[in-house]
Amino acid sequence: MNLYKTSLFALFVIGLSACNLNREVDIDLPNYESQPVVECYLTPGSTYKLTLTKSNSYFDPFGNGDLLQYLDAIQIKNARVEIRHGLDTIVLANTPTLDPVTLKAYNYVSDQMVPFDFEGSFELYIQLEDGREITGLTNILAAIPIDSVVVSFNETDTLARTLCYITDPDLSTRQYFRRFLNYDSLDSIPEQDFITDDQLIESGQFVFGSGYENRVQDTVFNTIATIDKAYFSFITSVMNSAASNGNPFAQPGVIKSNVFGSAKPLGIFTGYAQSQIMTIIAK
Amino acid sequence: MKCIYLLFLTLFFVPLHAQQVVVISGICKDASNGETLLGANVELVSTIYGTTSNDYGFYSLSIPAQDSGTIRCSYLGYDAQEYRLPLMANQKLQIRLNPGSSSLQEVVVTANSNQERMLSTKMSVERITVQQAKLIPALFGEVDIIKTIQLKPGINSGTEGSSGLFVRGGNLDQNLIILDEAVVYNANHLFGFFSTFNADAIKDVQVFKGGFPAEYGGRLSSVIDVQLKDGNNQKFAGSGGLGLIASRLTLEGPIQKDKSSFIISGRRTYVDLFTRAINKSNKDNPESTPIPNYNFYDLNAKLNFQLGEKDRLFFSGYLGQDVFKFEDNAFDFDFNWGNTTATARWNHIFSNKLFSNTTATFSDYQYTIANRVTGFSFKLDSKIRDYRLKTDFDYALNPKHSLNMGLEMTYHEFTVGRIKAGTDNGDISFSAGQLLDGIEYAAYVADEWTATEKLKISTGLRLSAFSNEGQFYARPEPRIAARYLLDERWSLKASYAKMNQYIHLVSNSGISLPTDIWYPSTKNVKPESSDQFALGVNYLLGKGFLLNHEVYYKHYSNLIDFVDHAQLFANDDLEQEFSFGKGYAYGTEFSIEKNEGKLTGWIGYTLAWVKRGEFSFMDGRYFSPRYDRRHNLTVVAMYQWNKRISTSATFIFGNGDKGWLPAGRFAFQDVPGGQFQPVVPVYGDRNTFQMPDYHRLDLGIVIKFFPKWGESDLTISVYNAYSRRNAFFIYLAPEYASGNENPVLEVPERIAAKQVTLFPILPSLTYNFKF
Repeated sequence: MNLYKTSLFALFVIGLSACNLNREVDIDLPNYESQPVVECYLTPGSTYKLTLTKSNSYFDPFGNGDLLQYLDAIQIKNARVEIRHGLDTIVLANTPTLDPVTLKAYNYVSDQMVPFDFEGSFELYIQLEDGREITGLTNILAAIPIDSVVVSFNETDTLARTLCYITDPDLSTRQYFRRFLNYDSLDSIPEQDFITDDQLIESGQFVFGSGYENRVQDTVFNTIATIDKAYFSFITSVMNSAASNGNPFAQPGVIKSNVFGSAKPLGIFTGYAQSQIMTIIAK
Repeated sequence: MKCIYLLFLTLFFVPLHAQQVVVISGICKDASNGETLLGANVELVSTIYGTTSNDYGFYSLSIPAQDSGTIRCSYLGYDAQEYRLPLMANQKLQIRLNPGSSSLQEVVVTANSNQERMLSTKMSVERITVQQAKLIPALFGEVDIIKTIQLKPGINSGTEGSSGLFVRGGNLDQNLIILDEAVVYNANHLFGFFSTFNADAIKDVQVFKGGFPAEYGGRLSSVIDVQLKDGNNQKFAGSGGLGLIASRLTLEGPIQKDKSSFIISGRRTYVDLFTRAINKSNKDNPESTPIPNYNFYDLNAKLNFQLGEKDRLFFSGYLGQDVFKFEDNAFDFDFNWGNTTATARWNHIFSNKLFSNTTATFSDYQYTIANRVTGFSFKLDSKIRDYRLKTDFDYALNPKHSLNMGLEMTYHEFTVGRIKAGTDNGDISFSAGQLLDGIEYAAYVADEWTATEKLKISTGLRLSAFSNEGQFYARPEPRIAARYLLDERWSLKASYAKMNQYIHLVSNSGISLPTDIWYPSTKNVKPESSDQFALGVNYLLGKGFLLNHEVYYKHYSNLIDFVDHAQLFANDDLEQEFSFGKGYAYGTEFSIEKNEGKLTGWIGYTLAWVKRGEFSFMDGRYFSPRYDRRHNLTVVAMYQWNKRISTSATFIFGNGDKGWLPAGRFAFQDVPGGQFQPVVPVYGDRNTFQMPDYHRLDLGIVIKFFPKWGESDLTISVYNAYSRRNAFFIYLAPEYASGNENPVLEVPERIAAKQVTLFPILPSLTYNFKF
């Protein structure tokens, strides 16, 4: 009887699966003019670094598929890049660099450190080779510390999860957060990567939990970054744009940048301070 | 606009001349089962005097007094009745029509004859019968009234297989769908693939695309008025069917013959019966993952009581739910959504000229998502609930004027995105959501004036209002429609209607989802409004053919759309996500219909334009909404070969929907810990891409059997007979040398445009019976 029921269901599922037809088609997309793309995250205690690339039409070729060659092809060279903070003007040199720990690529860097200044503002000024300009303005928000990371084991299994607690210091002001959960190393694909705010919190305490998927001796990185409204809007638009492709129920949208100027840029110029705790799972 | 008001006032307050008249009144019914007949034609033969029965079967015909005359009552699919009467005094005439003796009675594609439609002042209206829906091939064999409506000119269907309606450029939420006068807020099951209406329980469906009568309001684009059957008051009867995915059963009969009756009707899907059995058998297998259980069901019930000659009481209700459930050891997920409606209705005949209908209705639509993992629970729910009181009067003033008027009040309750989440020990808790309410008021009066033998004018004024948290909106809504007979075959028609909408659907998906929520007009959210003008011509071709051609222009104000990346869930300040703008739609609709004979059906063609603009996004520029389809063609043909066999075919062609695809892309490094993305789409202006054209042929055959106990049939449908691969959506997929769909630190070789098709050829078989 079970076999009969299973067979019937299998037929039904196969029937439905057969409905999901997928094929390649030729389409014409709207015309697109390339834009400069800026990414600059000011992290206190780290050096100033910035990525300046150009966007492409959607169907433009990618080259031979090699990442470094591709990054080289899209980088914008010979721009004048300055970050002004107080009376200081930090000039970022056009030096392509790959961070060996985080595997992030930058093409404008400086040896100077971003100060732990959570009051003053930072100004971005970029002049491209053809004279077009890009500007930006931001502050660095202090990171909210992680209260604790608690490891708990499943009662019926040997698997564990982590619960990462933080306390919102000011429920009256809207705060935005970005949360990462990485296993093994920081350059791994994050298990969790999402943004949230404290609009819904009642008790003042947040908890970010993982699933029961860690074993003893696993390494887990819990990261909480405190971000500003502009970065929240930008990363929301980036995530939504990426997720909208292929989802008939989603509504795409334009990229919400906080850099402006005659070059009509895309991108983000923001402070980025985070709290991070590494945990090795133990009983 | 001032001209329209002046014209309205001039026509409405035209002096009413006193005449010596007699009034013939009564109820039109089906002699075989006691069902009242809506829209039956009652006329004094060889004169201009005539009327139609109202939505409750009541008619009142005022005519000049005379020695004698012949009253004729006709209703398509029924044998006409003629009564030779002395006409010197008022009299009651209860009309009982017998279903047509011809075997073609099932093939009635509209309830109204071509003649009636040509003579009526109503334009932009369709009346659909269940018989029609049953003959038209259906997806999975599930007969669906809403999908039959989609085949009419001027009505777009939304995505493949969906029962959404986009009428003359309107949005999904601009359709007023009422079931026995109670509003149905989400008339869909299974993400829109099936509508909530069980065809076995339905008596009549009217669809207004424009020229709205004054009794209707509250939505901008259409009114879909669904009436349930009253129940057979002559004998116990039943009907039902077994289909591929669902079965249904309807029972009806007299409680007291001729005086009271009941009907109860249910439908339920099966899939969960199989999934439950599989999950049960795999319960002890640790490697097995449970399969989610899903089902939907509908339950309709109605009682009606004839209390003497002047009073009639009705009680009806609807309950429909979609139930999705997943559970395993550590994770429970429940997602339920559905509608509940209830109607209590009292018909009273004050005199042979004055009829009243008083109705109390209750409507509720809600969804609940509940999720539980070890130590943590989450619940999200939204709801809209209405309590509505309404009274309408029909008054046959004299042979030339027929009035109707009414009052209504609706109290709306809104629960908008209520979230409760937290740990079991209470350390952590999250909550969000808004509780809102509002009261909607309306009063209306309308007059149908037979000005001359050729000219008939309907005028109406509806005053609508809405109050919410100290904010009060009041808006007049003039309505006017006129018909001018050029000769016996040609009639010209024109109409104007203003509509206001005080409650709004919060959804930016463009299709109906169970998680859609409703939001009232507030201080910042002004009522949406529309003005629609239409001109039309009807031509009676003879041999059952009617040609109908209309042109329309519609202007929208205070339309609501959503800013880019709007956060519509878990947002206590939803209004900041709204953007307000305007819009317009214009077009022409042409149809040729044949509703008598062995071959019936219609050809409908629509040429239309729709634009929206002046929103805060796109710098206020105008853009096409998703369902701005330039050309639409539908061909519906049904042929009755003999008493046993009928066949049908439906062909649909439409330009593709508008889509919003990216124009550019950039590589995104992200912060340390974040994943490098070589392709982030850059979207430009909205909806600049047009999907490929859509076309489809459906075929059907109904084979009837006549066993001793009643009647049965096998209905075979073939959806998408030539397996056209229509685009459900198109997406752009990066392709990597490694073959991974989401690789780390790899650049795609190329990007391919992929088209997803939902339904290839889909045959289905349904067994139906009645006794």
